[in-house]
Amino acid sequence: MIRRKSLPISRRAALTALGAGATLAALFPQARPLRAAPAPAKYFIGVYMPHGMAREFWVPKPGFQIAYEGSSLAPFDDAATYGRSFRDQIVALEGLDLTAGLRASTVGHDASRVILTGSGTDGQNASIDQFLAVEQGLGQATPLSSLVLGVGSANPALQWCISYAKGGTALPKIINPLATFRHAFGQFLVDPDPAAVARAQREQRLGKSLLDYWTADLAELSARAPRTERDKLDQHATALRELEKRVLGQAVTCAVPLQPDSTLFPQVSSYQGGEPYFEVISNLQIDLMVQALACGVTHISTLFLADLSRTHFDASLPEDVHTDVAHRYASPGRSGSGGDPASQLLLARQNHYTYGKIARILQRLSEAGLLEQTVLVAMSDMGDPSKHSSRQVPTLLAGGWGGALRAGRHIDLGAEGTPSNRLLVSVQQAFGVESDSYGQSRDPSILSGTLALT
Amino acid sequence: MTRSQLACWSLLALSFGCGSASPTSAGGAPDHSLAPVVRRLSTAELEATARTLLGSGVTLAAALPPDARQSDYSRNVAQSVDSLLLGQLFDATRGFTEALDLSQAQFPSCAQTALAADRDCAEATINLLARAAFRRSPSSLEVEQLLGLFTLAAEGADFESGVALVVRGLLGSPKFLYATTLGQRESAPGPNRLSNDELGSELSLLISGQPPDEALLVAASRGELASGSEREQQALRLLQQPQSRGLYRRFVQEWLGLIGLDGLAKSSQVISGFPALREAMVSETSQFVDDVFGRQAGSVAALLAGGYSIVPGALAGFYGIVPTTPGARVNLSGLGRVGILQQASFLATFAHESESAPVLRGKAVLTRLLCLDFPKPTDLGIDIVFPPADPGATTRERFARHAADSVCRGCHATLDSVGFMFENFDAAGQLRTSESGRALDTTGSILLDGHQLPLADSVALSSALASSEQVRKCAARQVVRFAAGKTDDAVEQAFVDSLEAASAERRGTFLGLFLEFVKSDWFAWRKSP
Repeated sequence: MIRRKSLPISRRAALTALGAGATLAALFPQARPLRAAPAPAKYFIGVYMPHGMAREFWVPKPGFQIAYEGSSLAPFDDAATYGRSFRDQIVALEGLDLTAGLRASTVGHDASRVILTGSGTDGQNASIDQFLAVEQGLGQATPLSSLVLGVGSANPALQWCISYAKGGTALPKIINPLATFRHAFGQFLVDPDPAAVARAQREQRLGKSLLDYWTADLAELSARAPRTERDKLDQHATALRELEKRVLGQAVTCAVPLQPDSTLFPQVSSYQGGEPYFEVISNLQIDLMVQALACGVTHISTLFLADLSRTHFDASLPEDVHTDVAHRYASPGRSGSGGDPASQLLLARQNHYTYGKIARILQRLSEAGLLEQTVLVAMSDMGDPSKHSSRQVPTLLAGGWGGALRAGRHIDLGAEGTPSNRLLVSVQQAFGVESDSYGQSRDPSILSGTLALT
Repeated sequence: MTRSQLACWSLLALSFGCGSASPTSAGGAPDHSLAPVVRRLSTAELEATARTLLGSGVTLAAALPPDARQSDYSRNVAQSVDSLLLGQLFDATRGFTEALDLSQAQFPSCAQTALAADRDCAEATINLLARAAFRRSPSSLEVEQLLGLFTLAAEGADFESGVALVVRGLLGSPKFLYATTLGQRESAPGPNRLSNDELGSELSLLISGQPPDEALLVAASRGELASGSEREQQALRLLQQPQSRGLYRRFVQEWLGLIGLDGLAKSSQVISGFPALREAMVSETSQFVDDVFGRQAGSVAALLAGGYSIVPGALAGFYGIVPTTPGARVNLSGLGRVGILQQASFLATFAHESESAPVLRGKAVLTRLLCLDFPKPTDLGIDIVFPPADPGATTRERFARHAADSVCRGCHATLDSVGFMFENFDAAGQLRTSESGRALDTTGSILLDGHQLPLADSVALSSALASSEQVRKCAARQVVRFAAGKTDDAVEQAFVDSLEAASAERRGTFLGLFLEFVKSDWFAWRKSP
């Protein structure tokens, strides 16, 4: 039988039952109060939202009202469902274009790639999460440098990924909560039986010898590989260091949660029968992600959320959200009037669902006392999905950003379109990175500048 | 593969050695060369190699994250070893080695009874296993290092424990995970010729998707693979092995984008029970590809317009035929299906959930079979606008209205006029004669080999493509892309040009093109780093 290993336990103490029905109190029984004073940003969460955004039901009304009829942002002001209102913890940021993608034919669905990289397919830089975790060393001290999660699709194609390693290769996502649990917490599971402890110690010794062997082999290969292959082999070296942390064991600051009950999600993949379980899978992925942050397993995570197609969670939505909601969305855009309000409302329901999941992230972060030090960015690959437009993409910022974000407001950058690279520059500066540009483009003018967020 | 199919592979392959065209490695380097790369093997290649160490029952690919793709090919230079893959590989190989059966053929006979201190047997075992994992003979230093692992695990335990750690070490080693094509300098400055070990490994992975067998390793170690004709002979031999079948299935599926079928649903208003049908669709295409490669050397014409298919029972009703003997050829020409473009796998992949997709189907034909490129609308400053629903109009009528826009027409006149020829197939690939109560129009046109051809439907299109020189040239480019793991226009063009002198049999079949490539200098040489 597997039991929780005795580990140094913080004031946050034991994280216990994990499952679809787990209560907040059970998950974070000794949550700390929010910090009184700002501290530097410490945690980063990037979230992908599917299917573009219905601007008509996204723009807050005067006085930053976000709970009006049909509003997709309403979950952030729904204390009954999410424990408290997060209205004062979010910014509705309007006017960003995924400009680097527009300059490099990385648009429409493929613009997912641009969200955190600030680059089209012509760029080879890492996404901001990996830049912070690997290149800036924020993930060096934690067992995992980052945790890249998804719901529904493990597809590594552009349109399904927001996390990219230096060199430009998409990082694989974990879409099964059981795999997430094992990846994040598996190393801390030990059987207290003396024979099992002896086996674990032996395995640690053998594992270390394997790592030494592989590291030497990789160094030999790197020495004779051409420069063009360096990023790839550096990524391998990073993976070896990460595995070493796992093999050698590293203390975490809370007890290990219980393993998710996989009978709750017999299928996990889109088109393979996983859709009915996306609700429980999304919730588990979110809970495990925040628990991993709270336990110090990692400080950096991304989450690629699924849409409502074929889930049948919302009877008012058609089965095929992609064709019958996103493609049918009819909007006049920022300046005009008209369009089809019914189609706008349908897309807003999809957006509302996704924001509900992000509200859950904020709820968990709040309970764990991490909200003030968290930088959360949530974005879709499109603004108007019927036009497959990567312009004017409504963006959600949340968390305290370590004091680098004045929240509770709507920021409108204007109709002309501001490169999303500026958001990424602001993100890196919230983590103390001094550089004033982010991303790669044949048009370097789009890479620099920050947003006025404080 | 059945015995008769195996024989066909063999017969065709042996009759296949005439009409060579590509420059071979008797002399110097080609004018254009591929770049030297360190390529992480695809999960299918990793699994095939792992099976030589662990036995044929191992399913390593399923334990790893899916492959990154370039131009849809899983064999590509973008693959990397990230933390998730390495962690999952670590866990999987630990599981695989928990109960090794040392009586299996990959281990020396001494391993069954050897004691932990039996260094000679350990060394013999390591030599065999490392030769399989590294796809070459290990050096004495490498054997010594692996002996260190063996000793660490065997001490205080048993021989099997030592072997288990060696196997884990091998399956996590960069020498197993990566295939290098770096070359070694022949004369400075200039391109480099692949080393003997690289030639053996690359030849086997490219032609059979498997690690090199003993005969190939021996030929490589003797330096025989420096000769293009020797590489060709070895490739012909490898093609007779049934294991190579999976590689060509994968190649065709990736070339035509059919791997996307797994990630598709169809509206219940179009068809019910699609997930089960989807498996039958994949099975049909796999069996068909096996047949065309096994009996006709991967004839491009047969793939496109062979006039037959091999239809699984589960798909018979969908096609409107009576179930036939499993594996038997069925003539579907009378039902509007003459080749792979009319198979349900292609038609369903390039369609939306609830309706056909003339743009996707047209683009698939033009980009994948003719190697044409099209700008994205946003590159031209055009927003993509999906034609609005209209229950009183056919899909063609809706799309025709949308493409009437003078800005859109530039590309859509080309794309849609090819896609419209498939309009007698719905979103799932079912034959239909009308839509929205209106008659269908399947006429279209295509610019092929310099001529604008008006055509009646996709059957006529397939026939035209089957005899097109432009399609054959694109097929040759696809072989280079697959082999190189990336797009390299200069090498692709040079290879295509070299085929002018090749026999029609070589130019018109994929196996002919693979053989021409492996014997050419483009296979054997790389740019200087």
